[in-house]
Amino acid sequence: MSRWQYFVKRLLLTVPVLFAVLTFLFVMLRAGPIDPVAARLGPQAGAADRAQLRERLGLNDPLWEQYVDFITDFITFNFGQSWVVQAERDILDIAINAAPATLWLGFWAILLPLFIGIPLGFYAGLNPNTLGDYTASLGGIIWQALPNFWLCVIALAVLRRTRNGGGPFGFDWYAFGPDFASRNLSITGTPSLEWFSTTDILFLPVPYVSDWTALAIDIKLILPAAIILGSASMAAELRIGRTAMLETVNSNFVETAKAKGLPDRVIVWKHIFRNALIPLLPVITSEAFLLIGGSVIVEQIFNINGLGRIFFQALTQGDLPMAGALLFLFTLIILGLNILQDFLYTVIDPRVGYDQ
Amino acid sequence: MPDPANGEAVESTKRRRLLGLLGGGAAVSLAGCSDQEPSDGSDGEDGEDGMDGEDGEDQGPTNADKAQAAWERAVDNPLPEDEELRQEAYIEMEEAARDDAVLIPLYHGLTELFWYDYVDVPLTGALGKHWQQLNTTTVEGKSDLNLINSTFDELDPIMSTDTASSIVITQIYENLTAFPNGVPEIENQLLEEFEVSEDGTTWTFTLRDDVQFHDGTEMTAQDVKYSWRRTVESENSERAGFTLNQPVGLGIDAETDDDGNVVPDSLAVEVIDDYTIEIQLTGPNPDVLDVIAYSSFSVIPEGYVGDIEGYDGEVTHQEFSTEVANGTGPFELDVFNVDEDVTVVRNDDYYGEVASVDAVNWEIIEDSQAAWTYALEQNADRFEMPTFAYEADAIDAEADDRGRDVGTYGPAGELEEEVNYLGLSEISTFYFAFNAANTDRAVRQAIAYVMNKEQIVEEVFAGRGTPAYSFLPPAIWPTGNDGYNDFLDDYPYSRGESDPQGAQSVLEEAGISSDNPVDITLTTYESEVFQTAGELIRDLISGTGINMSLETSQFSVLQGRGEDGDLEMYSLGWIWSWPAVPYGMFQLEPLNTRTSTMPNETNGFYLDWQTALNEEAE
Repeated sequence: MSRWQYFVKRLLLTVPVLFAVLTFLFVMLRAGPIDPVAARLGPQAGAADRAQLRERLGLNDPLWEQYVDFITDFITFNFGQSWVVQAERDILDIAINAAPATLWLGFWAILLPLFIGIPLGFYAGLNPNTLGDYTASLGGIIWQALPNFWLCVIALAVLRRTRNGGGPFGFDWYAFGPDFASRNLSITGTPSLEWFSTTDILFLPVPYVSDWTALAIDIKLILPAAIILGSASMAAELRIGRTAMLETVNSNFVETAKAKGLPDRVIVWKHIFRNALIPLLPVITSEAFLLIGGSVIVEQIFNINGLGRIFFQALTQGDLPMAGALLFLFTLIILGLNILQDFLYTVIDPRVGYDQ
Repeated sequence: MPDPANGEAVESTKRRRLLGLLGGGAAVSLAGCSDQEPSDGSDGEDGEDGMDGEDGEDQGPTNADKAQAAWERAVDNPLPEDEELRQEAYIEMEEAARDDAVLIPLYHGLTELFWYDYVDVPLTGALGKHWQQLNTTTVEGKSDLNLINSTFDELDPIMSTDTASSIVITQIYENLTAFPNGVPEIENQLLEEFEVSEDGTTWTFTLRDDVQFHDGTEMTAQDVKYSWRRTVESENSERAGFTLNQPVGLGIDAETDDDGNVVPDSLAVEVIDDYTIEIQLTGPNPDVLDVIAYSSFSVIPEGYVGDIEGYDGEVTHQEFSTEVANGTGPFELDVFNVDEDVTVVRNDDYYGEVASVDAVNWEIIEDSQAAWTYALEQNADRFEMPTFAYEADAIDAEADDRGRDVGTYGPAGELEEEVNYLGLSEISTFYFAFNAANTDRAVRQAIAYVMNKEQIVEEVFAGRGTPAYSFLPPAIWPTGNDGYNDFLDDYPYSRGESDPQGAQSVLEEAGISSDNPVDITLTTYESEVFQTAGELIRDLISGTGINMSLETSQFSVLQGRGEDGDLEMYSLGWIWSWPAVPYGMFQLEPLNTRTSTMPNETNGFYLDWQTALNEEAE
């Protein structure tokens, strides 16, 4: 079986998973404790209104018909309208509106563990039981232990106190980089993401950065939230990176390589690094999952109008179609990432997957 | 008791019931409809034998009789010259409820507003800041006014049931009348003058002739008719009852079809000429001018939205909800990013005082940490304070003649400068109530004796609430501040302290003691205040012969059980949508508290107080 055959097979395997998820959502929506009509109309609606809405939502159709409709709608991304959170608005529109802020947050929250957590972990693994190792490991454990919501509250409290040079050594987060105070900007809020334009190159629109200041503002706005959101994954990657490194360093092929007289640099980068990545890969891809879950609370506290906050509202206000649609989208993302992960496995370690 | 003189009241039960249906699911604020009633105590009332000696055994009128008679007197005399008679009647109802202890008020909501010194904003009245137009607000050194708001998703006045949306709607759309700055004194807005017919059922409104919509077209009587028709004919309307019902609404005549829907164009609103409009009510209504100030009666241009028969609409309803607006107010809608921010810009052609700020911007923030950060950054010029940052000692304020606390706050905590402070008691009441059929009057009175409202407000809200002694909030007390103070002085259940001895003595008279105890269950909805209050009361009352058990249920479950008559003691609240006494008092009419016919024929509190009426008992 070639790599591509494996890939296609893997892709096909996700189809039943998707159906299982859809069926589960359907059961939750239709058979769960929340009556769609009551959730939409509130407790004081009259019987006539209820009957009318019941008919309009198609709840009087036979169950199998509802099931088929539901599956077709979701697969074609026709999620219908929100009930409560943004009543009567198209769910897909709402999601598309909110997605950029979450992507921007997620992008920075992934960069952080990748470029801080993994190198630190590898450093610690290469220099085990030194002061540097202890510092990095201990720091990692502490980071992981601190809950996100607490970090968010503390970060806001600390940062807003630095206004007008009120921080230690006169540090002022507002004046650091693009000046927020003089622009009347808040350190909370939704990034506007209006710093790029598109230009036509060979009739294809290509985005480019047209406003570097706006870019800097958006980065500064998102950075505290992203650091906190990425902190748990960063710590996890640091610790697993260290273990993976340690294990690989002590394996036989490294000894062989040393005996061959290879320089340290080649041993580390060519042999150790690649092998140490194998256990790290699932950690990195499952991070996406953590980010989706974690963004709920981070977006709420930093007042970022993203998918996480909308998901939170949908859940707390009983907006079933919205929560269902978002769950479906999250499922798609996770499934996609899983496929990507399996594919990357075959690149890093050709023994994995299709070879047997 | 059947009310012969009062065909109106009986007929109106059906319409009143509509009101109950209107609540909608949205946030608490504007809607009054947060409560309903309880059960049918089929076994008759036992506590009604005047053990505190006020009314003789079974011959004299009971408190319920008094309340019923007073309500009927008020409803039967709706003309303006009977104002005083109605005021007295409502106070009698209040006294009857107090003496029977069927309803024990706990607190009135308190709003506290803080604003920086560079802002000059008129003091907000008891109705709240969502009634305040911001054209008279000035900001020194900034061109815009920046505020914080909560999430909302509609700008259609007939859909709006929450405070957040009405804060913005008030800037864009206007009504015939208004309560300027939320002070509960009605004034003309788009109205020039009005006339009432002798019998009080025909009202003729003359409109201002110098008003333009934001798109430059002139406002005429046709627009008013169209807008009011939308409140009853549009499927988007959440407030049809406020147009059709009496006495808790306007009560405009209309035909309904077999399904109970209003027949298109049958609403009795007649255009006399371009600036004159006449409405026909189903009965006289003393509160017409107050009711038409409510945001669902806002005027939009005729044919703007096509959601009623005869109009195609210039914009779709979805656009009208969040994207476009065209009113007569001092500000025009600029941008509305749902869940992010809203901006309105100055209307330079406003007929009244043109705003001094270029624009008003609301950042939409739900989280209290984010909101507090935003306020400290001076990104919000006026703000409310989360309890974690609040220091009661930092307030330096005095009561003004409207009972508001006006003064300054700070510097305190993170707030490094002194800011202006306004504390105002809202027109809302949160209370404990009893199903009279299931509880003994002595028990109810004993609970009233031990309840120390000051202490509860202090413990739960850090003092951020007003202890309540009457169902009607002081801001709309029929006989004004002095009358309210007299009522307070007469409060029989040891005001401001917890009085177990008083409780003991009423219980002893009724033959209840720790050897012969009574069980009672307090059902609260999920509210920290009431749960804490319940625990305090349970602890204080233990040992006197009352064994109180506490339970918590969801709001909707509590309502359902109330309507089934399945509650003994419960907690709920009522928020006035306009400052009229009957809009609230109707729920205390004993005949309207019969739970066995709820929610269809009756819609009062869940008291089953009718079981205490002499006639019922027989």
